[in-house]
Amino acid sequence: MGGLEKKKYERGSATNYITRNRARKKLQLSLPDFRRLCILKGIYPHEPKHKKKVNKGSTAARTFYLLKDIKFLLHEPIVNKFREYKVFVRKLRKAYGKSEWSTVDRLKDNKPSYKLDHIVKERYPTFVDALRDLDDALSMCFLFSTFPRTGKCHVQTIQLCRRLAVEFLNYVIASRSLRKVFLSIKGIYYQAEVLGQPVTWITPYTFAHDHPTDVDYRVMATFTEFYTTLLGFVNFRLYHSLNLLYPPKIDGQADVELKPAEGKDYAMDSESYLEKLSALSASLARVVAPTHEDEVEMDEFPVEGETAEQMDTRKKEQEALEKHKKLFEGLRFFLNREVPREPLAFVIRSFGGQVSWDKSLCIGATYDVSDPSITHQIVDRPRVEQQVVGRYYLQPQWVFDSVNAKLCLPVADYFPGVLLPPHLSPFVTEQEGDYVPPEKLKLLAMQRGENPDEESEEEDGEEEEEDDDNEKEEEEEEDESEKEEEMKLKKMEEQKTQSDKALPVKVTAGKLRLEDRQRLEQEQQSEEKRLAIMMMKKREKYLYKKIMFGKKRKVREANKLAAKRKAHDTALKEEKKKSKKARRA
Amino acid sequence: MAAPAESSSFLGLGPGSRDPATVRRRSRGPRNRKKGWKRWAGPEARLGREIGDFLEDVVLQQRATGGLIAEQPDEGLFFVDTGNAEKDRQLNKGKEKPLHVDLVLQPDSKVPAPKNILAHQIPNGRKEKRRRQFWEKQAEKGVLPRAERRLRARLRRGGVPPEKAPEKGRSDPERGFYDIWAADNPLERALAGQDGWFLQQTKKQRVKRPARLRTKPSQVPAVEVIAAGGSYNPTFEDHQALLLQAHEVEVRKKRAEDKVEKQLKIPAGAELPTAETVFQEQCEGLLEESGDEEDGEQPAPPEDTPKTAPRREKKTEQQRRREKEARALATRRRREKAARCRRQELFRLRSLRLQVKRWEAELLRRRQARLAKRRAKDALPRRLGRLKYEDPSMEVQLSEELAESLRTLKPEGSVLRDRFKSLQKRNLIEPRERAKFKRRYRLKYVEKRAFREVTL
Repeated sequence: MGGLEKKKYERGSATNYITRNRARKKLQLSLPDFRRLCILKGIYPHEPKHKKKVNKGSTAARTFYLLKDIKFLLHEPIVNKFREYKVFVRKLRKAYGKSEWSTVDRLKDNKPSYKLDHIVKERYPTFVDALRDLDDALSMCFLFSTFPRTGKCHVQTIQLCRRLAVEFLNYVIASRSLRKVFLSIKGIYYQAEVLGQPVTWITPYTFAHDHPTDVDYRVMATFTEFYTTLLGFVNFRLYHSLNLLYPPKIDGQADVELKPAEGKDYAMDSESYLEKLSALSASLARVVAPTHEDEVEMDEFPVEGETAEQMDTRKKEQEALEKHKKLFEGLRFFLNREVPREPLAFVIRSFGGQVSWDKSLCIGATYDVSDPSITHQIVDRPRVEQQVVGRYYLQPQWVFDSVNAKLCLPVADYFPGVLLPPHLSPFVTEQEGDYVPPEKLKLLAMQRGENPDEESEEEDGEEEEEDDDNEKEEEEEEDESEKEEEMKLKKMEEQKTQSDKALPVKVTAGKLRLEDRQRLEQEQQSEEKRLAIMMMKKREKYLYKKIMFGKKRKVREANKLAAKRKAHDTALKEEKKKSKKARRA
Repeated sequence: MAAPAESSSFLGLGPGSRDPATVRRRSRGPRNRKKGWKRWAGPEARLGREIGDFLEDVVLQQRATGGLIAEQPDEGLFFVDTGNAEKDRQLNKGKEKPLHVDLVLQPDSKVPAPKNILAHQIPNGRKEKRRRQFWEKQAEKGVLPRAERRLRARLRRGGVPPEKAPEKGRSDPERGFYDIWAADNPLERALAGQDGWFLQQTKKQRVKRPARLRTKPSQVPAVEVIAAGGSYNPTFEDHQALLLQAHEVEVRKKRAEDKVEKQLKIPAGAELPTAETVFQEQCEGLLEESGDEEDGEQPAPPEDTPKTAPRREKKTEQQRRREKEARALATRRRREKAARCRRQELFRLRSLRLQVKRWEAELLRRRQARLAKRRAKDALPRRLGRLKYEDPSMEVQLSEELAESLRTLKPEGSVLRDRFKSLQKRNLIEPRERAKFKRRYRLKYVEKRAFREVTL
């Protein structure tokens, strides 16, 4: 025994953490400045595992930071800027108090300011890192850009957010990278695929805000401050990846078209540039003029450890994607003034469509209502007077649903005044055995091209495969018996004969053989599975049964939901009939 | 009798009394205070003041009459008024009197104003002239002054360079960006190619960000997409599912409220305190004495004889010995049994192994449970401060609130709040309540005269 007495709280977790107040004192910053610094540098509070130890025996709930994080913060040059700013404010206040206006002017001219460029580089060492964190930045910028310019936050910040958001939208349009849109009651969710990374963001509807009071605007403004810097650099890089000029310039011809007639009526010269950009109707100027013959198909190199099938599926996916990108190509839309212009223009343009609106609605209208080449007019009124022959009058939901369904949906459901089919969320992916609403089933069928009208377009192979998948789903719903595999086999054989009869004769011999092999393989697999079940140990069998029971329960629940739905539908129908009768009577 | 005497101006009869006329005026107060240090106190001060007054007077006389009045001859000072006031008035009738304002503004000093020398003279005139001559000579040779040379060079370069307004910092809407991830970005260009050790020692290189900060504090995605029932035009089932969720949240809230209510309620058997009981309770200790007196009649509580433990008889030697023997026997038996058991366990090896296996399995299970628990906790928002994170209320529209078309849609909730709560949920900021405004002093109501309230 012997040695020095070990004191409590001088080693271990007590020394690894530091309370917020102590950290603040160590950095010699006020609390708002400290909070701002932490947000900018990406230093977040921690919850220690043993709070009582860290808190030196007290159990009071405190905010803790890692000591090493705070030590890292000590090296930040911005800390000095914060202190300078504090002094600046003090001097300014003094000068104001003494009414020394020349001093006030001088001080204001030399207002200390800082930049966050180095922090962006530090937090996101590579471009991909930045792309992964883009969700937040986009949501924040889109949100702030809709704020009224009435002093909730700096007008400059709002303007910058608007500029960056518009730039990003223009990039998405130019790169055709939008994938999903979802109109929710909260706002509009978008998903784009930017350089292989899925980027999701939400934009509020452009109605008047009610500003919530339980939100700390200062914190939000600090986040936005950082995210605007990030988004600016990301935009620059994205534009350059597409050979576009940054800051974006409207393409020469379009610019000439826009300039003489409009521009002055709408905005000042300084503003009209951004306004024109935000109209989203003109394409952007490139550094090198694009040559359309230049688009050579990429050579494909097989990835190691990839079978031919995987290659095939990948190729098909690629083709489907290309097709999706050109969804609205060749279509000309006209937006009526009662539909939300910006989201619609954005979505239509990012799938290759052309879009215009009334000249008095917004800058950047490219053609008039009376243009005979318009194919679709987006209308959100119960009735349209004076319909022009040769164009579809549709409700705005058609555009969004078509994008999510990856095909131009039949227009009949979306005529003005018609009860719309539900707007499904593209972000929901059903697991096997989950309940799938009939609308979605219909949509899936349509995607496969099962609709008699559109059937012949799709490729045969794809149809086959997806048919199989669908069949599986159907089966899951139908059969609740033990002999699932056998049923599957039987059905498959039936399907085989059926499909052979039904399909147009377009299948090559080689392909057929390949199909056969697959089928044989499947048969063998199912056979093996059955044998494996027979050979199972008692305990394993018990587990297996349990799992199967769970699956079946899911199926049963799904069936129950389906039945409910059916009942609901019939009830609705009857009601409708009754109301119709009543109206007639 | 002394008091009236002193109050009158008669000579006092006291020992220290003096003639008031001869009493010197006391110099101002004690000299140990600053007040008493005044320099112009005393006879010399009086003299000085007199001289000052005199000099002032002289200057005034000079200003007014051009010399001392005492030295002027009588003719200069006085004249005999032989005129007639009536006549004067008649004579001066046509002449306009100068305005009083002009009179006042006229200089009344007889001393002439000093001349402005600078009006006739250029400062450094000779030097400037020499310099001009020098540069003229130089210009003949073809040499120009520096400023001139620079101006001409700028002209040659092509007009005045457009002055770019300096950026107003990070939030300037016109600010420019560059490729920050390129190999030679402006951010690192200054330090490129320099010795790393030198940069580190001179603190020019930024401190490397620790790798620990690269992990996010939560796995929750940045943008959580609302459930399918939150569509503006949802399917029936999705909407019902969302409604059910919202309903469950409400039920939970209600239950918590009810619980508190129930705890606060008066239990069924109890009665509300009446004024009488309250009063009684208040004078609970005070009335005790009287009560005691009344109770005095009752017999005193029965005296309790203190119970003592039953005394044991002393053990005999024999008893002790026997007990000892019995103890020894018991220990021996136990030991033997243990040894026997141990020997027997050799034959129980199989079952022992099974036991060990079972125990290990149990340990594994516990470890996994612990892990699972921790993982489940990771997904939840942590406790980062005084307040716990609370989920925002769910955005949901009732069936009758659902919009028929996009035009009639009434948005629910606020994206701003959603973002803010998301930041809290992802452990990026600690949940906080708004700082309460606390006034240190009481406000004083002052009615301004200018805005006095009109009361009729």
